[in-house]
Amino acid sequence: MRTDFILTGTPMSDDLRLAQVPIRKTVELVRMELPEEQARSLMERGVLPGCRMCPLRVSPSGDPVVLVDGTVLALRRELARCLCVKTTDPA
Amino acid sequence: MTPPTSSPPSPGAAAASPDASTHHPLVALVGPPNAGKTTFFNQLTGLRQKVANYPGVTVEKHLGQVDVEGTRVELLDLPGVNGFSGRSLDERVTMDALAGTIEGMRRPDAVVLIVDATRLETQLMLAEPVLEEGLPTLLVLNVIDEFEARNGHIDDEVLGEELGVEVVRTSARAGRGLDRVRAFLLETSRHPGWESPLGNSPAGSEATVTLPMIDVLSARRRRIRGALHGAGYTAPAMSGLTEKLDGIFLHRVAGPLIFLAVVLLVFQAIFTWAVPLMDGVEALIGLTGGWVAGALPQGLLRSLLVDGVWAGVGSVVVFLPQILILFFFLGILEDTGYMARAAVIADRSMERVGLQGRAFLPLLSAYACAVPAILAARTVENERDRLATIFVTPFMTCSARLPVYALLIAAFIPDRAVLGPFLGARALTLLGLYALGIAAAVGTAFLLRRTFLKGKGSDFLMELPPYRLPSMKSVLFRLWDRSWIFLKRAGTIIFTVTVVLWGLTQVPRIDGAPPTVRDSALGQAGQLIEPVIAPLGFDWRVGVGIVSSLAAREVIVGSLGTIYGVEDAGEDSFELQEALQGAVSTEAAVALLIFYVFALMCLSTTAVMKRETAGWKWPIFQFAYMLALAYGGAWVAYRLMLLGG
Repeated sequence: MRTDFILTGTPMSDDLRLAQVPIRKTVELVRMELPEEQARSLMERGVLPGCRMCPLRVSPSGDPVVLVDGTVLALRRELARCLCVKTTDPA
Repeated sequence: MTPPTSSPPSPGAAAASPDASTHHPLVALVGPPNAGKTTFFNQLTGLRQKVANYPGVTVEKHLGQVDVEGTRVELLDLPGVNGFSGRSLDERVTMDALAGTIEGMRRPDAVVLIVDATRLETQLMLAEPVLEEGLPTLLVLNVIDEFEARNGHIDDEVLGEELGVEVVRTSARAGRGLDRVRAFLLETSRHPGWESPLGNSPAGSEATVTLPMIDVLSARRRRIRGALHGAGYTAPAMSGLTEKLDGIFLHRVAGPLIFLAVVLLVFQAIFTWAVPLMDGVEALIGLTGGWVAGALPQGLLRSLLVDGVWAGVGSVVVFLPQILILFFFLGILEDTGYMARAAVIADRSMERVGLQGRAFLPLLSAYACAVPAILAARTVENERDRLATIFVTPFMTCSARLPVYALLIAAFIPDRAVLGPFLGARALTLLGLYALGIAAAVGTAFLLRRTFLKGKGSDFLMELPPYRLPSMKSVLFRLWDRSWIFLKRAGTIIFTVTVVLWGLTQVPRIDGAPPTVRDSALGQAGQLIEPVIAPLGFDWRVGVGIVSSLAAREVIVGSLGTIYGVEDAGEDSFELQEALQGAVSTEAAVALLIFYVFALMCLSTTAVMKRETAGWKWPIFQFAYMLALAYGGAWVAYRLMLLGG
């Protein structure tokens, strides 16, 4: 399996990951470090580079619940670690 | 591309499809899950709808009729989908239905695309693939009242110009905006083959050049954003209610507790509250059976009708209340949005055994019946996850096992207290049988994911829709659907099985009279397998019961009644219980209970498995695996019982 498939952007190990973003802080997705097959269902739900993401809460199992462009998505934290994000300008 | 015409005089459409015998224009409803598509469909069609399966697959096809100013239009409710990648069965069916490539079905003349306005940015991702089908399309911004209440704003005329479609604002639940949808349907029927004046050709060349998915989808989203921006789109504020409720239902401590309470409530409802209703149905069947028996002369016809049809079909119809109650609760849980949260809470526990959160709903439904449960597993996107889920689904104690359990427990397990007055030996046995089923499911899923279905599952991903009050109308419509499907099953498979079984007890004729059970074809079949089942403590009579219940497990109750010559046998029949006590040892009875925990004796399940996996490999493997487990389990139980004395 091509786990090293980088979908877009330049990989940098010290990138901020969605899993590290504090609750209620809005960030922007820059890169998904996922094989295309795995990324596809995310992408179809609008999770694409450039989208705004905001962790709303942590589920009882410790997984993030995230607001993505107005839609609430629950995903596993392993997946959240593959999503590289950057803080948005406080505009 | 010109859509095929299907105006009344069109012979081409009529030849293409049995549906076309009605000659009415066909309009498809498409949309993401939870956008209110089904409420919409129900509002437009009322009770004039029917559920069928698409040829070759078991994705349910909801077809309804609407009359607009005297013109009839057929409405097709397609499954809710997020995209057109064709990975899930639902997606494949939607794509094929829109393209008109499903055998025996004609291509729709137009499409109504329904999206949830409160989540417009993501939901519109579906618009382009739908528009690319080139059919006249109406874009419906549903749940518009909530969108407006939360201060969302959009100029739908501009949006329509940007996307090249007509746009309508609706609130399906309140019935708002439906007139404009009807007008669209009327337009379609007046001008079949009518093309939108704006032309349905969004920018993009996905069909001709293969780009990486990310580029295609990013470009798609850019265009959607551009269109929304042009239309002065302001996203609605977050729903305060949803925020508050998620704070409770997804709370670290309260969340799992509420989850458990909900599951217990559903069980309580199926097993306790359903009982009086089931007793009522049973009484009704007994009463009508008595009338039929009284009205007919003694003879073959009466025997067939009363002993065969009434007893056989009746033994299944009895479960209708239970199934209705289960689907009532599931319907409410789904419509309110709680089910998505339950899946989130269940996800990590399911992951431990190789399944995922989306498997929770199918497995819960399986406590009523494995057939709808296997269908519900279609929402599990990853194929390996889905296969593992539907493979273990029949281990859940479905309602068809209950009469078998009830009869054997009542006959062989003494009614004494074990833990205080609340938990008796019988209740404990029943609980044990349920636990054994769960253990088998868990163990099997675990094994499968390490052998035949090795590999990474999909990542659990769940959209959490805003909480909404359930629409009683759509819950009731669903109950109507379910009961109809269930009764059809009782009326076909179970009817056939019981008539065949009854026939096998009537041949070979001895001097023109029916043979004794032992000499009948059915009795001989039992004797044939006696050597195989003797190590489990079963004799030929139990063998007859097992053989007779190959197609539907609950049939064994009636056939044991026939074998032991008990009239009007049911699981409450004391006569039958006494006869069994005399003929079967307690050890063998326990072995028989274990056998029915594991064995897959349900023709409907096997048929559904065949269709859902597109082949015989999985259903045959499943049947053989469960039979082996049943035989082994019964043998071990029998030996242990003998040792324990």
